[in-house]
Amino acid sequence: MKMEPIVYGDRKVFTVAVFNQGVAQWLQRLPTIWVEGEVTELRRQAGWQTVFFTLKDPETGACLSAAMPRGQFDALRLDLANGERVHVYGRPELWPQKGELRLRALSIERFGLGEHLAALERLKAKLAAEGLFAESRKRPLPRLPRRIGLVTGNDAAAKRDVLTAIQTRFPPAQVVVAETLVQGRRAAAAMVEALAAVAAEPDVDVIVLARGGGGFEDLLPFSEERLVRAVAACPVPVVTAVGHEQDTPLCDLAADRRASTPTAAGRLVVPDLDELLAGLTRSRDALARGARRVLERHAQRLAREHERLRRAPALLVERRRAALAQAAGRLRALSPRATLDRGYAIVRRGGELVRSTAAVTTGDTVAVELADGRFGARVE
Amino acid sequence: MTYEEAEKELAGIVERLERGDAGLDEALKLWERGEELYRFCAAQLEAAEGKIEELAKRVDAARPAG
Repeated sequence: MKMEPIVYGDRKVFTVAVFNQGVAQWLQRLPTIWVEGEVTELRRQAGWQTVFFTLKDPETGACLSAAMPRGQFDALRLDLANGERVHVYGRPELWPQKGELRLRALSIERFGLGEHLAALERLKAKLAAEGLFAESRKRPLPRLPRRIGLVTGNDAAAKRDVLTAIQTRFPPAQVVVAETLVQGRRAAAAMVEALAAVAAEPDVDVIVLARGGGGFEDLLPFSEERLVRAVAACPVPVVTAVGHEQDTPLCDLAADRRASTPTAAGRLVVPDLDELLAGLTRSRDALARGARRVLERHAQRLAREHERLRRAPALLVERRRAALAQAAGRLRALSPRATLDRGYAIVRRGGELVRSTAAVTTGDTVAVELADGRFGARVE
Repeated sequence: MTYEEAEKELAGIVERLERGDAGLDEALKLWERGEELYRFCAAQLEAAEGKIEELAKRVDAARPAG
């Protein structure tokens, strides 16, 4: 077919066939790729050479026609039914007769729960090997966050539960909430963005990522690599509360703390105000007691010193008196009395000691002193 | 100073004072500092009015009907 336009004066005009042909040729330059979607409107008839079906995006409802030669389709032995999730390998083409875009399928793979689980396990192993889930990466939660970030879906329950738990336990809490998509294909990207937005808010010291219960597929965004990495890389600690107790999406493993429910998450990020106030009062009392104790100790020491000082002069006199008594004792020991006791006598004449016979003459009166007394005598 | 830092310092001062071996000047200084920390913590708890702020929704109207 000729691709030349017909020329009418200064206007070039293409026939429909030529236009379709041209677009079809241009489309052929596009690469062969994998497309994921849900199979609907599957039409396979014995008389047809081609099997037709529509791929539907379960999230947005966007549709794409697809076609595959019947022999090839049957050889895959997929036994596909409407509503099944598939990956289709193919390339876009234009069906010239109708001017319709469709996907020329070269291969189809069923992508169901099992594949999801296997992919999840692979991702989990990969991230674990990187150390993303290591205990050593976990940061402690602040005892009293200045502000709390909350990333949650617009399903009211999870958000309400977190906020109620926070406000009951700690009424002065400052919370900044970012509502975001939590379900569907775009949820992970939206949550990554919301997480970053909340983390960028000033004074946000901890972030709660919460979502109520849901089916396995509903919680899949919480296991997407980019969200898991964003949780791990978040500049402030993250507490996750996703789904029910038994669900463990990968973001739980990367979080600094995992809560079993949104309410539990709320209780984790704030202290109990009453307890805090009681503790503070106790501290203050202890402070006053401690200060008093130091003061008392110093006062006691001072009193002891003073007492010693006061007693010092008396002590001095006492000491001298003792020294004196001792001297007296020694003095007594040296007195002649001891000699008298042994039978000696002291003779005095006119008060003078008689030391020699020459000192007396016959007829003198002398005084004789013995140990137990004295008497007078006349020298013969 | 964060609440945690203040609380921790206060606990340290209480412990120091409870040992009773501080000098008199030091004890008075510790006590004054402790009171200051107490007031800081108490103010943090009592002054703040609880607040819930909604961050502007960046992703909205993205959910398909149904």
